[in-house]
Amino acid sequence: MKKTCTLLACGLLILAVFITGCSKDEGKEAEPEVIKIGVFEPMTGANAAGGAMEIEGVELANKLYPEVLGKKVELVIVDNKSDKVEAANAATRLVDKDKVTAIIGSWGSSFSMAAGPIVQNSQVPTVGASCTNPLVTKGNEYYFRVCFIDPFQGTVMANYAYNELGARKTAIVQEISNDYSVGLAKFYTDAFKALTGDEKAILGVANYNTGDQDFTAQLTNLKQLNPDVIFAPGNYTESALLVKQARELGITIPILGGDTWEAPEFLDIGKAAVEGSVFSTFFTTEVPITQESEKFLEEYRKAYGKEPASVTALGYDAYLVILDAIKRAGSFDRVAIRDAIAETSDFPGAAGIISLDENGDAVKSAVIKQVKDGGFVYLTTVEPIK
Amino acid sequence: MKRKNSVLSFAGVVFCLLLLLLFNKTFDSYKMRIFNLCAIYITLGLSLNLVNGFTGLFSLGHAGFMAVGAYTCALLTLSPANKEMNFFLQPILPFLANTEWPFFPALLVSGLCAAIIGFLIAAPVLRLKDDYLAIATLGFSEIIRVIFTNTQRLTNGALGLKGLPNYTNVWWSWGVAALTIVFMIRLMRGSYGKALKSIREDEIAAEAMGIDVFRHKVISFTISSFFAGIGGALLGHLLGTIDPLMFRFLLTFNILLIVVLGGIGSITGTVIAAIVVTVLMEVLRVLDSSIDFGLFVMKGIPGLRMVIFSALLMAVILFYQRGLMGTNEFSWDSLGKRLRRIKKRGPK
Repeated sequence: MKKTCTLLACGLLILAVFITGCSKDEGKEAEPEVIKIGVFEPMTGANAAGGAMEIEGVELANKLYPEVLGKKVELVIVDNKSDKVEAANAATRLVDKDKVTAIIGSWGSSFSMAAGPIVQNSQVPTVGASCTNPLVTKGNEYYFRVCFIDPFQGTVMANYAYNELGARKTAIVQEISNDYSVGLAKFYTDAFKALTGDEKAILGVANYNTGDQDFTAQLTNLKQLNPDVIFAPGNYTESALLVKQARELGITIPILGGDTWEAPEFLDIGKAAVEGSVFSTFFTTEVPITQESEKFLEEYRKAYGKEPASVTALGYDAYLVILDAIKRAGSFDRVAIRDAIAETSDFPGAAGIISLDENGDAVKSAVIKQVKDGGFVYLTTVEPIK
Repeated sequence: MKRKNSVLSFAGVVFCLLLLLLFNKTFDSYKMRIFNLCAIYITLGLSLNLVNGFTGLFSLGHAGFMAVGAYTCALLTLSPANKEMNFFLQPILPFLANTEWPFFPALLVSGLCAAIIGFLIAAPVLRLKDDYLAIATLGFSEIIRVIFTNTQRLTNGALGLKGLPNYTNVWWSWGVAALTIVFMIRLMRGSYGKALKSIREDEIAAEAMGIDVFRHKVISFTISSFFAGIGGALLGHLLGTIDPLMFRFLLTFNILLIVVLGGIGSITGTVIAAIVVTVLMEVLRVLDSSIDFGLFVMKGIPGLRMVIFSALLMAVILFYQRGLMGTNEFSWDSLGKRLRRIKKRGPK
């Protein structure tokens, strides 16, 4: 008897969920004067923190610019559980069930790639915020992104090492299981070799896996090679440990990294050891790049009471780029919006001036920052190579 | 009685076929994707159940075999142009650069590759038992993933592959699922199945009865890897992209969840659980968005769906301690008995 009762209760619970779900759909149909922009991000699972930062940016943009062409913009945010299969499900749901006009997302290139064929087949223009893997937009005319990609970032750091630090020999430590790190290392290598004109300018490449704690073996090997500088793009946790252990081993040469280093955790773990580390990133809160950046900074600080991360600014920009394209297209036709996004050039976003190239990747300036006195300090801005 | 049952079974199969046709005509691509996923999870669940449920070996290496299958199939079917696009960091190994196979042979080869790897791993690993076996198989599956991450010229490493042709449709996924179901039923009814079950119940007794325990374990493990490889390949071609990170141990746990929920050692249970879990995860999505109760609007809490899902799972396991079906299977006789019982209770 008790069992039946509980089962009945469970059944009722599920039924209630179904009913509320259905009634919500009816409510939506009653107001067709709304255009929907879908957002799919990891809100649970391993990458939930990254997804949350991007959503903050998109929601802030939606709050500041709630209308386009006289229609209200509604965000449909779905969770992709930091899982590739779920990401594909979420994207299909946005396209088929919610019938969104455009999509923003996702943190993590792998999830964006899972959505790639879906948005391409159903012709929904999609703008990624911080997915840097070149494969995301390659061969997909419906996928765009507002961040620069690994080739540019790698080149920027190679230039910095060559020109500013006067380095002629480099060693590389890469996180082999991370597409971002591998890509950055590859393009740094190419650019550095081209700059020095020396095929042997890269003295050695050491690999580690995500989650590794001990890097002394790799670092001891690299130390014997006697490089001028070490390039070590990768996750902030591993990188902070790596820099710390390098200093403990008596390696005093500069260590360079990528935009992932710009996280409070990097400073917490690395403490004094990471002082002086230099990395490239998208955005800085100290020197507003455009008028939009000022507005974004002011509103963000007001709404959340803290400093925004660069991916938050990129999420904000992704929304603005879509809205701008709808305005220019003058219609809500998905193909027209796609064409308008592809033509985006010199658009002033919060994280820099965005021009999209023929692959749908943003060509924009990079910011170089340094760790100083337990904080990130702006060093210089590098203009894009057009 | 037996004649009547086979007529019923035939009618059931025809009904299922009609249902497939109907769904294929009426479903949009979102429902279709979920429907296909159900079938793929049935294949994967059944293959894991063969080892974990019927043979009583606690293996956690499923994701590794799926990775082998998915990568083999992807590399065989990707067009040369797509391969060139994917391998922009380092060129692909020359012998793979121009292969472009049709789906069916590629699927078979991917299953066979996974089976070979399974066979090779089985030999050393199956000397272990229980928890130790679980750890060793988990380790092997991670090794496979790490190897794939590091073989840049073979698998494109951490960047993953994209542009896999979308071959997986309702006929492939449900065709394979149906074949797997029929194969498992035939296998379990035959002498091999009985031998496997006896090994699960008591290894020493089974050996005393003249069963070659080690050989049967290896056979079970290899067959399981074969179907895992095929399931992985189907999943890859449904998504259109794969990368090593996708085949983490979490994927194994998703499938283990299906097996345990359905009942360890029940084909029917696995089929039911695969469908329930896949569909429920999508249905519960409404919890993540804001819900309008009429009087007030509840703002969506991301992750609420997972909380409810876990709570429902716990409720099921508390009341059905051996999974939804235990070790029972569906049969017309038991259904008839149950119906009669309900009828009897009815008028009271």
